[in-house]
Amino acid sequence: MNKTKDAADTLSKGGTFADQAIDADSSKLIETPKSLSFKYLGCMVLLFLPVLLLARYPQWINIVAFTYLMGAVAVAWNIIGGFGGQFSLGHGVFFSIGAYMTAALFINYGLSPWITIFPIALVAGLVSVLISWPTFRLRGPFFAIATLAFNEVMFVLANHFDSLTGGPRGLMIPFKAGFANMIFTERSYYAYLMFGFAAFSVGVSVVVRYSRLGYYLLAVREDEDCARACGINVLNVKLSGMAISAMLTSMGGTLFTMYLRYIDPPTLFTMSDIGVKFALLSLIGGIGTIAGPILGAALIIPFENYLRTELSNGLPGSNLAVLGFLMVLAALFMKKGIYGLFQEKYGKANKPALPTPMSVKPGGGAT
Amino acid sequence: MDQILNVLIIGLLLGGIYGLVSIGLNLIFGVVRIVNFAQGELVMLGMYGSYFAYTQFNISPYLSFLVVAPLVGLIGIVIQRFVIQPLRAESNMQIFATFGLLMMFQNIMLMVTKGEAYSIGGESSRWSLSVGELSLSVVRLIVFVAVTLITVGLHIFLNKTLTGKSIRAVTQDKLGARAMGINVERTYLLTFGIGATLAGFAGAMLTPIYSITPGVGGNFILAAFAVVVLGGLGSVWGAYLGGLIVGVVEALAGYYIDPVLRSAVWFMIFLVVLMVRPSGLLGMVGAEEVGFREQN
Repeated sequence: MNKTKDAADTLSKGGTFADQAIDADSSKLIETPKSLSFKYLGCMVLLFLPVLLLARYPQWINIVAFTYLMGAVAVAWNIIGGFGGQFSLGHGVFFSIGAYMTAALFINYGLSPWITIFPIALVAGLVSVLISWPTFRLRGPFFAIATLAFNEVMFVLANHFDSLTGGPRGLMIPFKAGFANMIFTERSYYAYLMFGFAAFSVGVSVVVRYSRLGYYLLAVREDEDCARACGINVLNVKLSGMAISAMLTSMGGTLFTMYLRYIDPPTLFTMSDIGVKFALLSLIGGIGTIAGPILGAALIIPFENYLRTELSNGLPGSNLAVLGFLMVLAALFMKKGIYGLFQEKYGKANKPALPTPMSVKPGGGAT
Repeated sequence: MDQILNVLIIGLLLGGIYGLVSIGLNLIFGVVRIVNFAQGELVMLGMYGSYFAYTQFNISPYLSFLVVAPLVGLIGIVIQRFVIQPLRAESNMQIFATFGLLMMFQNIMLMVTKGEAYSIGGESSRWSLSVGELSLSVVRLIVFVAVTLITVGLHIFLNKTLTGKSIRAVTQDKLGARAMGINVERTYLLTFGIGATLAGFAGAMLTPIYSITPGVGGNFILAAFAVVVLGGLGSVWGAYLGGLIVGVVEALAGYYIDPVLRSAVWFMIFLVVLMVRPSGLLGMVGAEEVGFREQN
């Protein structure tokens, strides 16, 4: 009974979409490659402004660089978490694959991260497919818990296999400055590097979103059973989304390693700093939108930095308590994030806002 | 042989601890399907509460739980009413909100305690019973007895009393339950309250065993989810069994493989069970889906 009601709901929703599409100027609804690349370039110029303006201030440039990095990885998370509606809390696994492999190859074989970053990303993509294959049987919170467990297993393994990972002592990247090694004495170069990564990540996100895969991902998010009934190979779609997301995340791990030059298990696997943080940034900015994760990072990372320096001198943990409070508030009152707020206020009337994963009732998908 | 027996006993007693911290979550996640990542923090609050009672008023945790557990339950009711209730139908947002609560509680306690670890263990944690060549830790034995009693009690409550039946009815079909005159919202509130009270109770029982740090809840939360899923969602005996399995596996893995890897081993088992049989060992097949479908 309920099932049929859901199906009818979905159908009628599809109907209204189609009506709107007919009513509105169709050129505004369907993004052509040309209009998309113009928009993309414009946004990238905007995104480049902070680094241009702040490059001379050393205390700011670190924050800017880190914001780009976290924003880029949040964009990566958003591909499977936002578009696909699969709430992974285990992206720390892929992040750490990038981080550890980069460090190990650089320390032991002197291989430059410029060479290893893409092959490592491929490995991470492969691992993501292997562990997601069985996990994607699970829906909603069960999927989230399973990915969380993967994160925890990796944490334990990273502590255990200390010949590979340095165990609890961590790995230190020797300071061999030089462009070839991706180690710069000038901090602002890191900001340029991270900007490049963010631009790449957003680019991938745009391409995925407006590709066939992107629409499939949205369909799976809205209603998995309906998507399957429409002939979509749900598992393949989810796996492809996850692999792309994991590859980008692993590249983020590579850059993270070269930026900090020190990694240990707590830095890579602490949920509130890594796994959940990616999701949190997307939530604050707007889950399932392209700009959302970047907006979220632009807001949260500097704010968190401020809290850390201002508050935690007096009281340890107060910055994270504030962040936790924000998270609760965002979940309660800002489900569509900042981007959603903007859209509600200034959004064009003729543009049908795509439902975010949260606005949809958990009918078939148990999102 | 004695070695194996000893390891098994240690595992069973550890399993009692896991069962106890999971039993509240079994109600909250297993029965009413709320993803509560802050459950471990409720246990942590229970521990701090009974520590406070012990140091300030010199009341043993085995007595102070009578006050501490209901207080934690009250916190749980407030959480349910103001955070979970508005997010009933959105399990992803529940993940966010309760994870935010986890960070809040954990770090507020860090602020209050300045990161100092407390412990009231002292002599009581070293009491032990000798049976033949085996020695049993008394405080852990108490936990084991407590979890057994609570499991039996909960089983009777859910199956024999009208309130318990209404909780199960709401789980199975919210709309149908409402049509039968059950106040669904109040049932959720009640269930969450009971679950939180049980977490507070677990905290009090664990105070003599573990040293108390703000992060202690984080050690329990994944274990609790694993136990609940492993045993079978919503099955009271499943959580009991799941706890014992996790405890024994951890003890065996710690003894025979490597103490560092012990949690990885049962995590693996948890993942396999989750994928092969998401409804858990004693759960009804398909139960993990039903609960989410009916939440509209």
